[in-house]
Amino acid sequence: MEISRRRFLGLVAAGAAVAASAPLLKGTLPATASERPKARYALVIDTTKCTGCGACIEACRLRNHLPEGISYIYRIVKGNNREPWFLMIQCQHCANPPCATVCPTNATYRREDGVVLIDERLCVGCKYCMQACPYQARVYDEERGVADKCWLCLPWVLGGGLPACVEACIPGARFFGRADDPNSEVSQLIASGRAQPLHPEFGTDPSILFYVIEAE
Amino acid sequence: MQTTWGWLPAIYLFLGGLGAGALMVAAIFEFFGERYQSDFCPTALVGATVPGPLVILGTILLIFDLGAGLREPWRIFYMFTHFSSVMTWGVWLLTFFIPVSLVYGFLEVLDTFPAARDWLRGRRWLHWTKFLWNLPLRRTKRVFAGIGLGLAIGVAIYTGILLSAVGPAIPFWSTPAFPGLHIPLMPFLFLASAFSTGESLTVDLMATLFVDGRIPRGRRVHLIHLAVITAEALLISHLLIHAFGEGGAAAEAARQIALGQHSLVFWVFVILLAIIFPFVGHLYAAGLGRHLKPSGISSGISILFSGLFLRYLILVGGIHAFL
Ligand code: SF4
Ligand code: SF4
Repeated sequence: MEISRRRFLGLVAAGAAVAASAPLLKGTLPATASERPKARYALVIDTTKCTGCGACIEACRLRNHLPEGISYIYRIVKGNNREPWFLMIQCQHCANPPCATVCPTNATYRREDGVVLIDERLCVGCKYCMQACPYQARVYDEERGVADKCWLCLPWVLGGGLPACVEACIPGARFFGRADDPNSEVSQLIASGRAQPLHPEFGTDPSILFYVIEAE
Repeated sequence: MQTTWGWLPAIYLFLGGLGAGALMVAAIFEFFGERYQSDFCPTALVGATVPGPLVILGTILLIFDLGAGLREPWRIFYMFTHFSSVMTWGVWLLTFFIPVSLVYGFLEVLDTFPAARDWLRGRRWLHWTKFLWNLPLRRTKRVFAGIGLGLAIGVAIYTGILLSAVGPAIPFWSTPAFPGLHIPLMPFLFLASAFSTGESLTVDLMATLFVDGRIPRGRRVHLIHLAVITAEALLISHLLIHAFGEGGAAAEAARQIALGQHSLVFWVFVILLAIIFPFVGHLYAAGLGRHLKPSGISSGISILFSGLFLRYLILVGGIHAFL
């Protein structure tokens, strides 16, 4: 498995084709995207459209070169047997991320645009963040002994592309865009009040993921 | 049940607690004068010498449990850097606790065995420790016992705060100590358990084995241990009752522990061995003023074992909040 920094360097080359802003990517991710200081991303998942097919899980696994059976996204089945519905869970990119608070090494940090990342050069693999994340959004990379999770496919996004899960979603239940642009689809979904953060009572203030939940 | 942290963390939390508890007992014996009722006080001797090695062993296990920290050990130093993390506090506490307890143990050995000083004098390569054995022994020892006592309380509490600090992610671990107040229960439970295991090693086992249980003010010492066991029982019941009442993941954790797949371990190895059996043993010892061999050794061993099992159960009970 070759992911993260090495993966990232590979992506810079790959992304250059897609990306006009490839010079942004200078080997490691900048702590703040100074070129786009106001960028705020949002990912909305419409659970009334999601069929629970798991295409996003697989697409995420493939793009991030994760081993069989491991993905940054997992599925929870809700509802009852006759009318199940699905919650696809990945890192919610909390504005107040407990994973970063408990991380003893500063490996987990939050960028100004709201994306929460792990600097794997610092991570010791203590797994404390996996305990502290109320969404259980983190996985453990057995091979390299570090914590890992959804990084919103940041290099693709910065290069103008989409997260793999959004590209792969067959019924079009995933919407990705900039929340700081009032005309974007995601902004309008959020403004309509239909898209809500999951479990706001955890107090972590998920700032990127929102769910449209109308079942139950 | 959760599997992210299992037996290995249970063992190092236990070793940390045991080391801290043993040092607390030795320091209390030092400050209240029990240490000086006779020349040879196994409680203070073991309580001062054992914590250093125990906590070193625990720290080694902790490092073995780190993924990348084991492969690229320099990363461990990053663990000193992030002060909002309870784990960083713990790393600092251990960093100070280990040398202080080692020096305290060294001074206690010199005090207990005057021959050790002569032996040291004959060893050229140990002469760098001269500054220590040339100081006024008991006064220096007392200083280290005092600092060690503070650090030991910190280490014992820290093992509990480590768990409660995950907040809403794991409701069972963040159970409040008092209804309505945001003070977690785990630090108190870990402090009580640390003290109890420390006392079982130094008093129940060592004093019984080496001085036939005859420790100064034995009645009071056993009454204190009785109070700590009672406190532990109250904390464990409060933890479970609160968890059942809260519902969700906390109730599921309590159910697994008290009624479900861990219930045998819980009722036999924690309630029977850590609470009921030692309670009776200490009641008897408090009445008599000393442990008889059977009661001292058996309650000592059972408290030690149950301290480990208690930590294991609390760790596997760390079920994440339901989404
Ligand atoms: S969802 Fe979990 S891993 Fe992601 S930022 Fe929030 S606490 Fe951290
Ligand atoms: S596993 Fe890594 S990212 Fe997570 S808390 Fe430990 S050092 Fe931080």
